[in-house]
Amino acid sequence: MTKVAREVDDLRARLEQYVGKPMGPPSLAPDPVNVPMIRHWVAALDDRNPVYLDEAIAATSRFGGIVAPPAMLQTWGMPSPTIQGIAERGGSPVEIRSDNPISALDAAGFVGTLATNSEIEFVRYLRPGDHLHLSSEVESISTRKTTALGQGYFVTWVTTYRTAAGELVGRQLFRILKFDPSTIDLARLKAAR
Amino acid sequence: MTAARPRRSSEIAVGDELPPFELEVTPTLVVAGAIASRDFMPAHHDPAFARAQGAPDIFMNILTTNGYVARYVTDWSGHEAMLKSIKIRLGAPAVPGKPLRFSGRVAGKSDVGGECLLELAVRVANDLGDHATGTVTLSLPLG
Repeated sequence: MTKVAREVDDLRARLEQYVGKPMGPPSLAPDPVNVPMIRHWVAALDDRNPVYLDEAIAATSRFGGIVAPPAMLQTWGMPSPTIQGIAERGGSPVEIRSDNPISALDAAGFVGTLATNSEIEFVRYLRPGDHLHLSSEVESISTRKTTALGQGYFVTWVTTYRTAAGELVGRQLFRILKFDPSTIDLARLKAAR
Repeated sequence: MTAARPRRSSEIAVGDELPPFELEVTPTLVVAGAIASRDFMPAHHDPAFARAQGAPDIFMNILTTNGYVARYVTDWSGHEAMLKSIKIRLGAPAVPGKPLRFSGRVAGKSDVGGECLLELAVRVANDLGDHATGTVTLSLPLG
């Protein structure tokens, strides 16, 4: 085995320890589901679905009352950002970095990030007052791939959303490509575009 | 706020097309979506930061993309629809000045547990290519 191939195997072997483990510590959404944030979202996306804000229509719908836009699921769990220094942290909204495959790949030079897949499942719609607990687990890490963006690894994790009472309300699978920008194949990238 | 009459499941057949929708993408729209979804990543509001990362401009965050996919579908189905899942593959960035074109088709319809379950194949594209393609599953009351 060549030295390079062995190094590849070493990195992939180190990454294997993260599979099935948490992406980071469990967290509690900064705020319970609430109407002011729903109103902000509805205005930003100009979404006229009345069950999000119109109490009278929502009450007579199958939902029986106001519900949050389902696609806001991820929004409720977004951490409150520390704005100072956010660009220097590469855009990370929080200062604490977990030991996870992303930080490990960053440290190994695979600093590029490209999101490739998002799969959200809604077990039930959320109502004002629901306070979400989040936990996330690394589902899989690919072998090293050669892509239009150079060498990289696909990292997949699943975030699970539960209420304070432990009721499962939603899940989101996320897959990103962590790539080494110094290995980008410009000819191939151009051909792909 | 007015509510259009929700679509009846009996009115829907596999192969039905959702009406196309074109969304003008402006810097304001990108930033409004990013902040409403509490995503403060500079690539979604700071053009210089976005370009330093190799993007042509600030670009829409994924939470906003999911939000518009959900809106596109429920604008068609009406407010009795309950989304079960949004599964998308992400491609070309959504950037200011390049409108997003939404299209969709009913790919599956079945009765499950006293509800009508619909699978919608959805595509969101701009001049750079497919921004997001995938499947939205939703339920409607039977009738």
